[in-house]
Amino acid sequence: MTETPPVELGPGEYGAEAPVTGQGRMEAAWGSSEGDEDLSDTQMTQPTSTGHVFEQVYKPWQGELNPRWMRNWAILRHHLLGIFKKGHRPWGMPTRLFILVVFLASLSDAALTLLSGLLGEASIHQLWGVSRDNLYGHVLGFFPRNVLYYPIVAALLVGSVISEDRQHGTSALYFSRPITRFDYVGMKFISVALIQAIVVLLTLTLYYLAEIISLGRGWAWILDTFPLFLAAFLSGFLLIFTYTSIGLALSSVSKGKFFPGIGLLAIVLGTKVLAVLVSTLFDREILYLLSPYDCMAHVGQTIIGTQPTYDQYSWTWSLASLVAMNALALYTLSARVSTMEVTRE
Amino acid sequence: MQTKPNTIYRALDRKAAALTEFTMRQYRTKVSTWVVLGVGLVAISLVMLIYIDVMATGFESVDNDGDSFDYDNDGYPNGQELKLGTDPYMADSNPGLLDPPVEPEPASNYIDEDGFDITLEGTSNLQSTGFDDDGDCYNYDGTSSRKDANNNNIECDVLLVQNRYTGEWEVVYDLNVDEDPDDAAYAAEATHMAFVLGIGKMGFVLLLGLFLPLFLATGLIRDEMSAGTMHFMLAKPIARTEVFLYRILGYLGIVWPYFIVLGVIFATISGFMGPSEGLFRFQDLGVWLAIVFATMMASFVYGMLFCTMGVMWRYGIVLAIPFAAWELGMCLVSMGAPDAAILRFSVIGWALMIVDSAAVMVWPNMDMFLLQGTTFEDGGPGNFLSIIESSALALDFFYSKPGTGSSGLASSVIATVVLLIQGAFLWFIGGAIFKGKEIE
Amino acid sequence: MMPDFDQDGKGQTKQWQPDLTAPAVLLEGVSKSYGRIFALSNITMALNGGVTGVLGMNGAGKSTMFKLLMGKLKPSQGKIRLFGTDPWKNPAPYARVGFVPEHEKMYDWMTAHQFVSTFARLNGLTRAEAGIEADRVLNFVGLADVAHKKLGQYSKGMRQRAKIAHALVNDPDLIILDEPLQGCDPLARTTIMNVIRELGRMGRTVLVSSHILQEIERITEQIIILHNGRLLALGNLHAIREKLDQIPHRITIETDDAKALAKDVIDMDEVQGISFPDQKNLTIQTHNLGAIHAQLPKVIVDHAHKVHSIDNPDDDLASILGYLTNGGGV
Repeated sequence: MTETPPVELGPGEYGAEAPVTGQGRMEAAWGSSEGDEDLSDTQMTQPTSTGHVFEQVYKPWQGELNPRWMRNWAILRHHLLGIFKKGHRPWGMPTRLFILVVFLASLSDAALTLLSGLLGEASIHQLWGVSRDNLYGHVLGFFPRNVLYYPIVAALLVGSVISEDRQHGTSALYFSRPITRFDYVGMKFISVALIQAIVVLLTLTLYYLAEIISLGRGWAWILDTFPLFLAAFLSGFLLIFTYTSIGLALSSVSKGKFFPGIGLLAIVLGTKVLAVLVSTLFDREILYLLSPYDCMAHVGQTIIGTQPTYDQYSWTWSLASLVAMNALALYTLSARVSTMEVTRE
Repeated sequence: MQTKPNTIYRALDRKAAALTEFTMRQYRTKVSTWVVLGVGLVAISLVMLIYIDVMATGFESVDNDGDSFDYDNDGYPNGQELKLGTDPYMADSNPGLLDPPVEPEPASNYIDEDGFDITLEGTSNLQSTGFDDDGDCYNYDGTSSRKDANNNNIECDVLLVQNRYTGEWEVVYDLNVDEDPDDAAYAAEATHMAFVLGIGKMGFVLLLGLFLPLFLATGLIRDEMSAGTMHFMLAKPIARTEVFLYRILGYLGIVWPYFIVLGVIFATISGFMGPSEGLFRFQDLGVWLAIVFATMMASFVYGMLFCTMGVMWRYGIVLAIPFAAWELGMCLVSMGAPDAAILRFSVIGWALMIVDSAAVMVWPNMDMFLLQGTTFEDGGPGNFLSIIESSALALDFFYSKPGTGSSGLASSVIATVVLLIQGAFLWFIGGAIFKGKEIE
Repeated sequence: MMPDFDQDGKGQTKQWQPDLTAPAVLLEGVSKSYGRIFALSNITMALNGGVTGVLGMNGAGKSTMFKLLMGKLKPSQGKIRLFGTDPWKNPAPYARVGFVPEHEKMYDWMTAHQFVSTFARLNGLTRAEAGIEADRVLNFVGLADVAHKKLGQYSKGMRQRAKIAHALVNDPDLIILDEPLQGCDPLARTTIMNVIRELGRMGRTVLVSSHILQEIERITEQIIILHNGRLLALGNLHAIREKLDQIPHRITIETDDAKALAKDVIDMDEVQGISFPDQKNLTIQTHNLGAIHAQLPKVIVDHAHKVHSIDNPDDDLASILGYLTNGGGV
């Protein structure tokens, strides 16, 4: 705001020469903060005899704004580093602890592969070494990985990522800066997905490397198995993306602390239980199309090439259903975020 | 003058009513309550819809032994020729040439002509039972040893052998005995019972009984604590343990009527849809009663548990979610191995025992029924898994005997008592933790 | 244990026999620490009857003290008694206590009447009694005409009054109000202050906290000053003021002709020194603030000075606290 000379209101009672009685000022100073005077006393006995109207001129900020990616990187970094150290987004000790436990538990097959390499025990390697089924199992195995590990990690991460911002009013801190809502949500999405990638994809890669190192695999083996690894990696990506989009959609819809996490878990495990129930009772697999986990498992089985366990319909149905679920979740997310009121709720 | 003691417990009932009523009103004003209840309804209604579709479509009976087929084109189905002793493979040997001549029967008479006749009698672990209704064993043109495939020196019977160690029965058929039962009737009956047990155990007790408390009870105390509104409640002469209990009562005031209404709807629909001689299957009502009761008990214990977890820790969900996954696993264990000791450490194991006990009491012939279906050998054309066997396997998956080994009534009482003790214990723990909490 | 559906009989509130020998509030050597930080340290006092203002800056320990009194927090050391009973162990004394928490969050979906009557029933009143009592207290705090509107539609001041009504519904002997005036508009302040004064007149023990001295001054003369968790001063406001009068106070007057005014002012006995920060400002130093304020208007009017403002830079809590902490306390 630039200084402008006060506009003269003309001579007389509003003019600069009008006598200063102090009345107006006293009213301004006391009248608004005190309340226990008799209200009739605060009635002005004569009109204000002085006044200035300042012309309001707003001058746009001419400085150089950092590029968009740099601002977004700051948000992403803030969320990611929060997992490892203080001073960044607080994820909560239990969440971080759980991620660590799941990370180590997910490495169990890598550890056993290393062990089999060290001991030269073929039977251990047969069970745990890199194979089509084990690569599938590392990412998409139902028990324990998709019951106890990955969905819970996702549930804990998404539980608060948007809803807590809304609850505490910290989303206002983001939106008072030159950051679009899309970027805000996008970075939240990527950071949650990346943390899950540490648990799912990094452990998968370590598992694969453990096999190469402990058994001294050569190029021929790598060329043979790399497509399988890639397929497993892709399934893992699909898994993370789906859990994240459903979870964030739930997080954007609710403001409770518990709702998004439980909601994600209820969707993943609840639909699975329903589908198992119906297929056991009536030998109909149709409800598997409603279960995100089963759709991913079906697609994963196809691209990794393991024995399919769903045989009443083609895998493309599962893929289509998966796309539809993600589309619905992302639509909900974007719709909610774009209409989100930036207030403390 | 003062006759009543100066304790805060004097006007307990009024406080209980007030706080319970308040909690229920609070639930009713939240959108999330209705979303959760609605989604729960939609989810299990999906299963119900598929059940209705399956029941309305019906099951197709199969001619398991192929004797409705007229091999020699003489107008008489093989079964009729076999029964009357003519050669089914020679056109010039047929019942029409008998004296007096016999009119050909429609082929459909020979689709389900040899039903299950096996029964368990007495305590012997080696029993001869069964009867060859259509005579294709008695009239079989072969040696006596071929008519007595199970080697018990009785032609055309079914031998039941009890395993000395496991106590399970094994069925050994003679050739062509009980080989062509009424598939459609069996499958409808088995599928119906499997549905009642399946939706009861996995739909009601597991999905609704576990997830509704997870959604509704976890924040029962914790949300008030973090919002600061707990100060209003705790500024009144009311013990925190009471607040805990009355909040739970309010939560039960929402979910229990929901379970009851849902149970009534499901029992009504399945009662009309299921196979029965009359219009309505009244015998299932006992099982439905047990299902609703088990769900109510489970939701009570889970509610106490999740509320306690919420009180214990700001991140109570971190405790609650793995526990929910554990209970899911225990549910599956209880289907396969209902007497596993590990089930004693779960909530759902006991809740499902209530359903199992009721099923044992309401369907006393279940053992024989399952034995018929699961050991049924498809003697018919093709080597497919018959609908009898597949429906029997589904029923076998969901049906299990109460794991305590005692009678139905005793097990259900034991399970109820255990659940009540669990709930009371959790109330005690939760109340104690809440009592020791400092509220900012 | 069964709910009393008939809801007959009378709530316990009226029949509660207070332990008349015990003071309403008793703290003995109470400390509350979070790790190494002391939110409250070694507070000893007893209160019975009358309105007491608890003064202190933000973080001085006012809310901590109230939460300790209400059994929300457990004292690290010392003994707390409400009517002779330890509130952390036994909620029974709350039958005679009303508490207004500082938290803003309320049950927005309830009407004020529902809110007050529901919580009245937690005092053991029947449904019918609670309704009558709720009407009474809502009328008392001046919300009778909006009693059936949802709390979510209430303004800040109305919500504070609803909270006060909720605290008063059991006709308590001790009322604790945590920052009841915060964020209220002048009208609401007036009403709330009147309510509090009225309660004092009715012989109740009232504890009310604020970080603004002037607010407390208008309600009561008995104050407690907390600073950094320590009890700095306790007693009559005038007594404390008198002690404060022994240090020089400043009065700053903005006027057209500072020198002319100074000539007239210097004659007053209580003025100990005068200085001129600039042409239009005059600063008077005194030990007796009250006397100067009594005479100043007359002097100004008599000599027709044009005064723009009169300011007491020392007459706020910060400077009192500054004096108390540096001057060794009372």
